[in-house]
Amino acid sequence: MNPDSLHEPHIALHVEDLTVAYRNAPVLWDIDLDVPPGVMCAVVGPNGAGKSTLLKAALGLVQPTAGHVRFFGLRYAKARSRVGYVPQRSTVDWDFPATALDVVEMGLYGRLGWFRRPGRAARAQALSALASVEMADFAGRPIADLSGGQQQRVFIARALVQDPDLYILDEPMAGVDAVTEAAIVALLKRLRDQGRTVIVVHHDLQTVQKYFDWLVMLNVRVIAQGPVAEVYTPENLRRAYGGRVALIGGAT
Amino acid sequence: MVAGFDHTLGVVAAGAAVLGATGGVLGSFAVLRRQSLLGDVLAHAALPGLCIGFLVGGRALPALMAGALVAGGLAALSVLAIGRFTRLKPDAALGIVLSVFFAGGVVLLSHVQASGGAGAAGLSAFLFGQAAAMLVGDVQAMALVGVVAVGLVAACWPWVKLVCFDPPYARALGVPVAAVEALLTLLMAMAIVVGLQMVGVVLMTAMLIAPAVAARAWVTRLMPMAALAAVFGIVAGVGGAVISAGARGLATGPVVVLIATALAALSLALAPGRGVVWRALRDRRLAARLEGDRVIGTLRALGAAHGDPGYRAEAGMIDAAHGTATARTLDRLAAAGMVREVSHAPESTRHWVLTDKGQAEPGPGRGGPG
Repeated sequence: MNPDSLHEPHIALHVEDLTVAYRNAPVLWDIDLDVPPGVMCAVVGPNGAGKSTLLKAALGLVQPTAGHVRFFGLRYAKARSRVGYVPQRSTVDWDFPATALDVVEMGLYGRLGWFRRPGRAARAQALSALASVEMADFAGRPIADLSGGQQQRVFIARALVQDPDLYILDEPMAGVDAVTEAAIVALLKRLRDQGRTVIVVHHDLQTVQKYFDWLVMLNVRVIAQGPVAEVYTPENLRRAYGGRVALIGGAT
Repeated sequence: MVAGFDHTLGVVAAGAAVLGATGGVLGSFAVLRRQSLLGDVLAHAALPGLCIGFLVGGRALPALMAGALVAGGLAALSVLAIGRFTRLKPDAALGIVLSVFFAGGVVLLSHVQASGGAGAAGLSAFLFGQAAAMLVGDVQAMALVGVVAVGLVAACWPWVKLVCFDPPYARALGVPVAAVEALLTLLMAMAIVVGLQMVGVVLMTAMLIAPAVAARAWVTRLMPMAALAAVFGIVAGVGGAVISAGARGLATGPVVVLIATALAALSLALAPGRGVVWRALRDRRLAARLEGDRVIGTLRALGAAHGDPGYRAEAGMIDAAHGTATARTLDRLAAAGMVREVSHAPESTRHWVLTDKGQAEPGPGRGGPG
């Protein structure tokens, strides 16, 4: 079969039989996952469950051992412009010499080629993305001077500037203040209400029901997935967070 | 004779300027990508390349440069391979590759020198550089390499910036990160090659690190940082050339490195916002102002308690309210016209009142002390 032909095009993120192993130890095992378009989806699971690895494998940053991933029916390489990625804030050096606007503009660099530079329109787009996370006043501020919450907003603006259909965020609420968390959630809900799909690796079980309408519970394997109301059950939580997980057969 | 001397100085200064500018720009990326040590590896690895270049192409600088570039590339690949196929940590990989290549270079060097041949003796000058031996043709070759290296960075600027800041994100965007990183490593090797004759393989890494570190202290964006690093590099290069030309027996290369390092040290100490001394002075100023605000607040509260804004507060009382000596703070406030010293007979101790200016002063003490 031609790998570029459409496969499950009506699903925003389709993951099938995905297994990722580091040095032969499985980090993700046989993941089958479908996130429909237009939902705000949380990916939860204990430490070491493979949440970030799932995102990285989907985005081609980690080489899977087996399985495939499709975005709106397309391989990621063909769907890049429709996917906006917000990595964990701690993965970069915030002492880098750049302003908030510089960083946001980087979201548009994927469209450039060798020896090309962004035009004036890119600057304007970046400014309006900063404005939509209420950071317009900080456009010229060095990123080293921003608070953790402000840095997170800059990272989200960098994805917004691409105007994608699917947002993938890795722990955007980690280490930000309550005001920023509320602003981020409001922004993501607004995106969802515009028909965008939002997938968030989330660490705070307390707020899952309040923030999200779709839920994936992960612990190396997929423990449960679906609407939050159906998936967020004590039984599933116990299976995801309690005890070890067997790779073959039922959960222990 | 004088004209000949000036000509030599001109050549050396031009070479030093080329080296400083190239090292400054490419060094900025090395420092930001935390690859400063890779620069040291590439520089030391140039030695065997120089020897092989000499064996193949003779004393001509282009042949030596080509040898150094190839050896640097092999060293960089070795570091990558060790990182990929073993569990060694990066610092260990860098250390091993540096020593192996440098040891191989020293062995080759002694072999070449023992087997004689015209100019073989001059090869050891590449250990610490020998600026005086520089010819106009050498400077032209250096300038060509430098212009190509800086020009390539400028041409790929947005991707270079993104890959330095956030490589995984760049990959997610579809930027060919591995190619950009390979390009940056190649350009760093080119910058090193530019400096081999001037400062030599052992000290070259300082010309990558020091100007970049100095520049980072003063500016907050990448383009100004690279430009300022080039300026610092040129200042160090030309300054070193002039100083060593004016005094007998001072090796140019090491003097250039010392000036570059001094610029970095001064910048780390004095630069506004980031300098250690600058920050210490600012903290002291802020502490003094805070203390002043609190004393004014105390005086104001005492005035309110006595229903008299001009209440004459005894110095000991103010000390007691703060739990610490406040005489210096009061003197400072008096100098600023916020308080005035008054007497309060029959007591002979110092007393203080708020002046009109002190009454009007807004501050955290408005609501009283504490």
